[in-house]
Amino acid sequence: MGRAEEDVLTVVGDSLQGLLRLPVDLLDPIPIPQHTFMEERNQYNAMGIIKFMDQEYPANPVKILGVTRADLCNPILTYVFGEAYMGGKSAVMSYARLHLGEANKFVSREQFLDRVVKVAIHEIGHTFNLPHCHQGRCVMRPSNTIPDLDSKLNYLCPYCELFLFEALSALLRGR
Amino acid sequence: MNAKNRFMVVDDELIVRESLAAWLEKENAVVDRAESGEQALDFMQQNLYDILFVDIKMPGMGGMALLEKVKKSFPTTVVVIITAYGTVEHAVQAMKLGADDFLVKPFDPEGLGLLVTKLLEHKRLLEETHYLRSEITKCWGGTDEIVGRSRPMLELFDTIMEIAPSESSVLILGETGTGKELIARAIHAHSKRMGGPFVPINCGAIPESLMESEVFGHERGSFTGADRPKKGLIEVAKGGTLFLDEVGEITPKMQVDLLRVLQDKAFYRVGGVDPIQADFRLISATHRDLTQEIAAGTFRQDFFYRINVITLRVPALRERKEDIPILASYFLKKIAVETNRPVDSIQEEAMRILVEHDWPGNIRELQNVVERAVVTAKKTVIGPDAFAYLNPQAHGPSIDSDSRSLRHVEMNHIRRILEEEEWNISRAAKILEVDRSTLHNKIRKYGLKRAGDTPL
Repeated sequence: MGRAEEDVLTVVGDSLQGLLRLPVDLLDPIPIPQHTFMEERNQYNAMGIIKFMDQEYPANPVKILGVTRADLCNPILTYVFGEAYMGGKSAVMSYARLHLGEANKFVSREQFLDRVVKVAIHEIGHTFNLPHCHQGRCVMRPSNTIPDLDSKLNYLCPYCELFLFEALSALLRGR
Repeated sequence: MNAKNRFMVVDDELIVRESLAAWLEKENAVVDRAESGEQALDFMQQNLYDILFVDIKMPGMGGMALLEKVKKSFPTTVVVIITAYGTVEHAVQAMKLGADDFLVKPFDPEGLGLLVTKLLEHKRLLEETHYLRSEITKCWGGTDEIVGRSRPMLELFDTIMEIAPSESSVLILGETGTGKELIARAIHAHSKRMGGPFVPINCGAIPESLMESEVFGHERGSFTGADRPKKGLIEVAKGGTLFLDEVGEITPKMQVDLLRVLQDKAFYRVGGVDPIQADFRLISATHRDLTQEIAAGTFRQDFFYRINVITLRVPALRERKEDIPILASYFLKKIAVETNRPVDSIQEEAMRILVEHDWPGNIRELQNVVERAVVTAKKTVIGPDAFAYLNPQAHGPSIDSDSRSLRHVEMNHIRRILEEEEWNISRAAKILEVDRSTLHNKIRKYGLKRAGDTPL
């Protein structure tokens, strides 16, 4: 959504394809809907974007993830790395805050992309009804800060993986 | 498997309700949304909530009014007030009214996460404190509450200390009034579960029809009159000890249900569909001979084996007569203080009567006898007269060694009434509702005599 960098889109697509074992299509970029811009906060409302995507892509894909470099928030939170409704169809993630590390220095591209993957899997996990997981360092652990994000792994724990595949097969059976 | 947390977001703005509820749902909680204070109160009649997030400004009943009502009717429900930036003074006011915390819109995501974790822990502590306050006076004593220096009691104390730290089920046997519940409390007080609640259930006192919902709890609407969900005693006993007093009175159906809980370590509320984890140590007590009940088919053998991993037998008072003076003095002091009577000791001769008595009602009977003596005492020392009615030998021949026989009871009763009426036969006969000749016959039959008189 808007101008997203190619390697970001590729790594997100590849990691979701690896996780879900389903084809992932990279769609042409579209502008972020202007009505979701919150002028007083200079951020976009992630929940508004999700609603827009639900309406824009009603039929075919199992799930859809919007990726943007713009900073996101929601009506009650000052910022979010990503947003999704439990069991929803669409999710959105931003990498606006994922570049910086300690003392506001840029982190390596690998570390940045690793963060991107974690946020992408986490939000898509919510769309498959996975709640926050407090088992070890599962990617579904809540992460509200960059250190939280860095301390977790970029994959699901065995429990979340099992629940994800149950939800996925139920979804595919129903189609 | 634990029951999910239940939250409610009360806000007139749909967008806030939706965002906050969506965030909370990711924490695997059940979240209800109310658009007004009135609707929130309606929901509260139907469900128990852990945390309420309440917007301070709403049309109709505002956040403050809702806060006041909730804190009055559901004191353990945590309330977080939501205010907009710039109206923090309202939040301060809300905290004064009992709000547990407040959030200023928009919140920092990290802060919200920490707040919810902190408040859930706070709520758990509130519930625990609430329960402990009611229990603490009863539970604190441990073995200190149990009076006795006789060999059987010292052995019992040793056994309590030995078995208390284990998690095994305990069955306490003993006649009525021997202090089985005190023993159970002492085991609890010395166990690893000491910090958890001690929940006694008197199985004989709860009507059969109520027992199920008392023990397992119920969901709203599971039967007529279940107008709100209720936690069962098993749920309340989480992390502590469940004490089933008079376990011999439990119906066969209930035995099956409890057996299932003990085997599966999980149970369902009446009308509920989600299993709830059971986490308690079971102590049971009975004055009945359960092996006979098993033979008669009224008590299930498999249930018996589950509750009877360790057996404790509490001796009857007549088996530890050397403890009677200590117990009597203990009760005397306790009751004298409670009733504010200036009574301080029992004469030696009076004490002998107590020691010689058979005590079919055990310690409870002894306590009642001492209480009666203290309350009616006219001097600071209790003399043998106060206990004369206990000892038939002082006034006439012992007719029956079993003091619980009907003859014995009748004889004692007639003697008491005669003494109360100063041996006026007409008045005594009237009270006893027999005619005078019948009363004369009874007096002759039991060899009753007036103190200082020759037998009639």
